[in-house]
Amino acid sequence: MNKNNLFKLLALLIIASLALSACGGGGSATQSTGEQKVTSTGFVCPEPEVPITATSKELNLFVWTEYIPPDMQECFELVSGIKVNRDEYSANEEMYAKLSAGGSSYDLVQPTDYIVSLMIRQGLLQELDHAKLPNLKNYNPDYLNFAFDPGNKYTVPYLAGTDSIVYNADIVINPPKSWADLWKPEYAGKMVFLDDSRAVIGLTLLTLGYDVNTKDPTQLEEAKVKLAELVPSIKIFDSDSPKTSLIAGDVALGMTWTGEAFLAQQEVPSITYVYPTEGAIIWQDNWAMPKDAPHADAAYAFLNYTMQANIFWMILRDFPYTMTNQAVLDFAKGNQMKVSDYNGNETTLSALYDAYMASPITNTPVEAIQNAHRIDDVGDALPIYDQIWTEVKGGQ
Amino acid sequence: MLKRLRESKSAQGTLLALPTTVWLFVLLIIPLILTAVVSFGKRSPDGNVIYTFTLDNYIRLFGYSTNCASGQAACFDPLYVNILLRSLSLAFNTTVLVISLAYPLAYFIARSHPKQRNTYLFMVLIPLWTNFVIRVYAWMMLLRKEGAINIIIGWVMNLLHIPFTPLEMLYTPGAVLVGMVYEFLPFMILPIYTSLEKIDLSLYEAAADLGANSIKTFLRVTLPLSMPGVVAGTILVFIPVMGTFIVSDILGGRQVILVGNLIQRQFLDARDPTFGSAASLILMVMTLIVTYFYTRKFGFGEEIVVA
Repeated sequence: MNKNNLFKLLALLIIASLALSACGGGGSATQSTGEQKVTSTGFVCPEPEVPITATSKELNLFVWTEYIPPDMQECFELVSGIKVNRDEYSANEEMYAKLSAGGSSYDLVQPTDYIVSLMIRQGLLQELDHAKLPNLKNYNPDYLNFAFDPGNKYTVPYLAGTDSIVYNADIVINPPKSWADLWKPEYAGKMVFLDDSRAVIGLTLLTLGYDVNTKDPTQLEEAKVKLAELVPSIKIFDSDSPKTSLIAGDVALGMTWTGEAFLAQQEVPSITYVYPTEGAIIWQDNWAMPKDAPHADAAYAFLNYTMQANIFWMILRDFPYTMTNQAVLDFAKGNQMKVSDYNGNETTLSALYDAYMASPITNTPVEAIQNAHRIDDVGDALPIYDQIWTEVKGGQ
Repeated sequence: MLKRLRESKSAQGTLLALPTTVWLFVLLIIPLILTAVVSFGKRSPDGNVIYTFTLDNYIRLFGYSTNCASGQAACFDPLYVNILLRSLSLAFNTTVLVISLAYPLAYFIARSHPKQRNTYLFMVLIPLWTNFVIRVYAWMMLLRKEGAINIIIGWVMNLLHIPFTPLEMLYTPGAVLVGMVYEFLPFMILPIYTSLEKIDLSLYEAAADLGANSIKTFLRVTLPLSMPGVVAGTILVFIPVMGTFIVSDILGGRQVILVGNLIQRQFLDARDPTFGSAASLILMVMTLIVTYFYTRKFGFGEEIVVA
């Protein structure tokens, strides 16, 4: 390429990038018309039940990808005048690594149960002042006061769910009923699993009758041998979007979590979610406040506002997980408010409630909850779990 | 002082090199030293680094194990060595394939009319404007069971009345290789093109005058003179491929662990930065050794600078 042409090319690139950045500057269509605060999708924001007294002008969230309804965030910004900055992560470990490195300025994070106890031990979280969270009363007590945070001193629930078996009833003739069934040769090469070492080793331990959080090296060794038999039958390990390969027909069954299974079923009705006889893996995502949160007052305001039933119902529409907030279910039941569903069709809140309650995926049956197992931090044994994972995947 | 600076050439040189030196020191040398220090440490139960001096991480990496099946006190466990070898062989295969595809294309571009050359080069560069990961995802759409390639083959077969079951292409080692070759092809084409384009055409006339046929001309003139480009391309391809794992994760279905996955897992899932640091250093050393012997044999690719 001679110099002259190179310069022309560079000039073209610069012009193109300028044009693109100019396009990026468009503002949002949000407006507040008189008294009413309306989001860009046309939702009329309810007033805060707890008066917002925060003096901070900003709130820094560090949350899971695709886990906060956009309307919810926008309404909070409109009613409080606080600007919300949102960073996202796709694994607890990512969030933990960033927080434990120090110097981050997040006000709220969304750790899953097993990493909460570790974060508390490491002094990464600050105690929550329950006096500032009157809307905590909205939660179903079944989702409070877990062993990972007794008395909810550091966390409040967000959403819950399970990791369990999923299969396409149109393709799978003999559906699996237990984790152990997944070892059957007829399923070989047709399965998608979460790329989650703790969950997959955990379910293997369950088939052997051991605890999902065992630290016993001989039990883990046994699980390794058993899991090594299964791994060649697994076509895909995917923790980002396991539903994609199920919907596309690349696989016929496997393990996935609540929200993915529900959305897959919306696309392909024959996709079915079952709770294995050994018990599913159960989890809960929570809100927590890092030790050095610079805008704690805004964080309390955000928590209170988003805990309101007339805001948090959006979860039923946007993110089909297990609802921890009882007030939302009471609010939604029989409520004829017009809303649009996942596919943008007009429906009512009452219909969303009925779909939620009728689906065993989201509304986990009581027996399944009682039978389920919760992953916990295993401390010293974690490198053993990792080595097992490396070995079963590296041993081919 | 200013006067001395104006007079002294070497002082000017030092001053000009200063920003880069500081930059490299802060962002390369210091992190490297920290990595080395951490790699000799121990993991605490919660996954923090206990600073001490132990070779445990390196011993584990090279397969010394006290957990033997046959009841011996110690044995060799090739787990991590195998992962390193697998990454090495994937990098090797990718590089060889990339060279064999890039060379003819670069040759074609270099021999085409000067007016068209820039258009061709432009076409080689255009895909790089799109994010690396998005391009890998595009391959998913092509390769999957109900993807574009299977649909087209199925359509043709249907016309010919041949029964056809969709091919299983995605989530296979072949898909990983295709993705890798695709991603790194431009980095080989450009340096080879540069060195081919520089060859003086009178050399071909001389070869013809001396009675060489086209094969002999290629082997004795073109190939040796384009070797710097091949070497430069190899360095640009081989080193990043060694540490890459995104392509194998997306197109291979995460069935295998490469050294890149291994290192990433240590810092996230396993929370063992000490072992992760040791693995990073070993990867770096291994890449340096391979590159060293390669460049000693073929000379250092000066085309990197030109490309």
